Amino acid sequence: MVLESEQERPVQVVFTGTRREMAGILLRGYALMLPTIGLYRFWVTSWKRRFYWSNTEIDGDPLDYTGHAMQLLIGFMLALIVFVPIYAVFFYLSTQSGEVAVTGYGIVAVVLWFLTGYAGYRARDFRLSRTLWRGIRFDQAGNAFGYAFRRFGWTILMLLTLGIVYPWMSSNLWRYRWNNTWYGDRQFNFTGRARALLGPYYLAYGVVVVVGSVGVLTSAGMGAFTPGGPSDPLSVIPGLVAALICGAFVLIYQSREMTRFWSQVHLGTANLAVTIRARSLIGQYLLFGLALFVAYVVLAIGGVVVLFTLANDAFAGEQFDMALFMSHLQGSAGVLIAVVVGYLLILAAFSFMHELFIGVGFWKLVARNATIGDVASLRSVRARGEDKTLAGEGLADALNVGAY
Amino acid sequence: MSVPARYQDGLVAQVIDVSLDYESVGSAGNLLLRDRETNAILTRWAAADIHPAYGRKGELRLSSITQNSGARIIVTGPAEIGQVRAMLPDLTTKQAMEFSKQVRIGVIATVALATVILAYLYGVPLLAARVVNYVPPDWERTMGDTVATQMEASLKETDNFAICDPDPNSVANAAIARFGAAALGTGSPFTLDIKVVRTDVANAFALPGGKVYFFSALLDRAESPDEFAGVLAHEIGHVVHRHAMEGLISSAGTGALVGFILGDMTGISIAAGLGSTMIDTHFSREAESQADAYAAEVASRMDFQPAGLADLLNRVAEDDDFSKALALFSTHPLTEDRRVHLQALTHETPAGLEPPFTAAEWTAIKTMCGSPLKAPPSKTKLGN
Repeated sequence: MVLESEQERPVQVVFTGTRREMAGILLRGYALMLPTIGLYRFWVTSWKRRFYWSNTEIDGDPLDYTGHAMQLLIGFMLALIVFVPIYAVFFYLSTQSGEVAVTGYGIVAVVLWFLTGYAGYRARDFRLSRTLWRGIRFDQAGNAFGYAFRRFGWTILMLLTLGIVYPWMSSNLWRYRWNNTWYGDRQFNFTGRARALLGPYYLAYGVVVVVGSVGVLTSAGMGAFTPGGPSDPLSVIPGLVAALICGAFVLIYQSREMTRFWSQVHLGTANLAVTIRARSLIGQYLLFGLALFVAYVVLAIGGVVVLFTLANDAFAGEQFDMALFMSHLQGSAGVLIAVVVGYLLILAAFSFMHELFIGVGFWKLVARNATIGDVASLRSVRARGEDKTLAGEGLADALNVGAY
Repeated sequence: MSVPARYQDGLVAQVIDVSLDYESVGSAGNLLLRDRETNAILTRWAAADIHPAYGRKGELRLSSITQNSGARIIVTGPAEIGQVRAMLPDLTTKQAMEFSKQVRIGVIATVALATVILAYLYGVPLLAARVVNYVPPDWERTMGDTVATQMEASLKETDNFAICDPDPNSVANAAIARFGAAALGTGSPFTLDIKVVRTDVANAFALPGGKVYFFSALLDRAESPDEFAGVLAHEIGHVVHRHAMEGLISSAGTGALVGFILGDMTGISIAAGLGSTMIDTHFSREAESQADAYAAEVASRMDFQPAGLADLLNRVAEDDDFSKALALFSTHPLTEDRRVHLQALTHETPAGLEPPFTAAEWTAIKTMCGSPLKAPPSKTKLGN
């Protein structure tokens, strides 16, 4: 009896990674991206994934990421073949008159939106087929174009219904993704229903519509949107407060969707159970905001100090001499380099903090709140043939879709 | 001595506790895997085929090229890892080889990319200068009209924009048109449309398709017909060389390049914009020199000093330090350099040439926008 109850107890997923390790990976990555003209980003992506995967333990065994940077690099090259014609169209449109350009950009945007769905599905396939647990590969079947069309159709319905159909779209796409996901020779099964999302979704929807419009209208009434800048600096406050409230409710909804839908993912008799608290998710974004703020304050102080050293006479008088300062900009290569370096630092600080607080934070949050029931049943899963057809994530990388 | 490890065969999702032993077979060797519970021999891995796979800190994961791709031997603990490394001394060499292979790939890819960028920096302007000849003039003209409409609309909002002297047959406009036609010659598919417009900004530029704008704030600073004629001839040089179109093609090319480096092919990022601007500066400096050379060539047919162009630019720049700062990202060579160049380009003027404008015409041009605007100019730009 004791043995049986032990077998039935769900297994807790464990995450063993730390922010410090990730910070090391990122800092080394950024340092190497400079001499490699940005190419090292494919290696950074692989290192990041190895970190996440290898630190995620299920029933004592970590996930294993077997993808290589070269695969990503080649995939990116292939994606360029798609992008060169799109780029040519962009250029042609930029030379056209207003109406033609607007129509053309609209069509290109629609094509890109469609491709984003395709790319996202392919990227998921790439990651799954390079993920192993206990020596058995995950995989994704289904058709990326089929998924893209499905998502595209739902997008049109979303526009027509002003977002009312979202719960049905979401459950439909979750079902397509998970019902096509495999672990070895065993297929996943998704049993989530749209009705599980109705309450939280329409609550968030209502709050965003009501609070959003009240905030925007109040700000507008106080003169926040007058041409040439807000007439009263205080007038942007109602809009900002409304945006924060809306953001919080969106996160509350997201925590509900992830909790309810991930808990409906089954693999044979094994099943996933995830509980994500809204306050943890909101806390993560607050922490990210704080970290970003601190990083930018430090950068700003550093920037002023550097510019002061390089162009100190501009600061010499009682007032800051803009003209003199700008003449330094023109004359000195040092200042130019400082500006470029500063720009890269701002970019790097953002992606650094984002990875540490949203990336690692979110992964930790999900892993630590996930349990898997009947893990023992997975011992009979056998390997399937290898899926080596995918050359990198291609479009997904070029389109910047898909985290991790 | 056996080393405890975990083993997965890549066929079934099971992990078995094993003990590892090294077994010599002649000069080669095998890793012998025994079930720790039953002590039964599970399998043998040839030592030569074993490679390190990625494992987190404190964990050694081994794979083999002759086993299933998911098969792993997992060793944990520093003492155990040390023992296995002692059994398989090639492991460290293989790890180093894999590392140097990655470095090689990285270096080759970087060198290749750097070559592409260099070829691009030199190739794109050359290519753009060629491609521009295949752009139908009609298309360029339509585009110029679009740009002109947009620009006039945006200037109307901010800069007190108005067209000075809309009558095309007035003394001033007729003189400008005559000068334009003479300067343009017969080598261009376009007809000129020169407009003097009232704005607070000192500027003059050529749009695609033969439209030239001369801003009143710049005209107000001109002290002699030579200066005015010099600037105008320079802009007509842009029209003849189709620089506006060439610039568009070039920036489209550099935008794609920066998008490639940053990995954001949608090109929305500010980074792409900023990067392209800095690269494009290089191209347009050549265009400016070409236009200067054209102005000098026009001056050899008419009686004016093209160096007046540089005088006017210098005067505007001195009045307005801010313009110097903008030169960082703006599209012109420094005026000091240009003056030297222009002077070098100035030919010995043959005797008996007509001056570009008569005294009466110059007076008419100077007054065509009414009295000079008092507002200090905030930015200066001369080019396309």
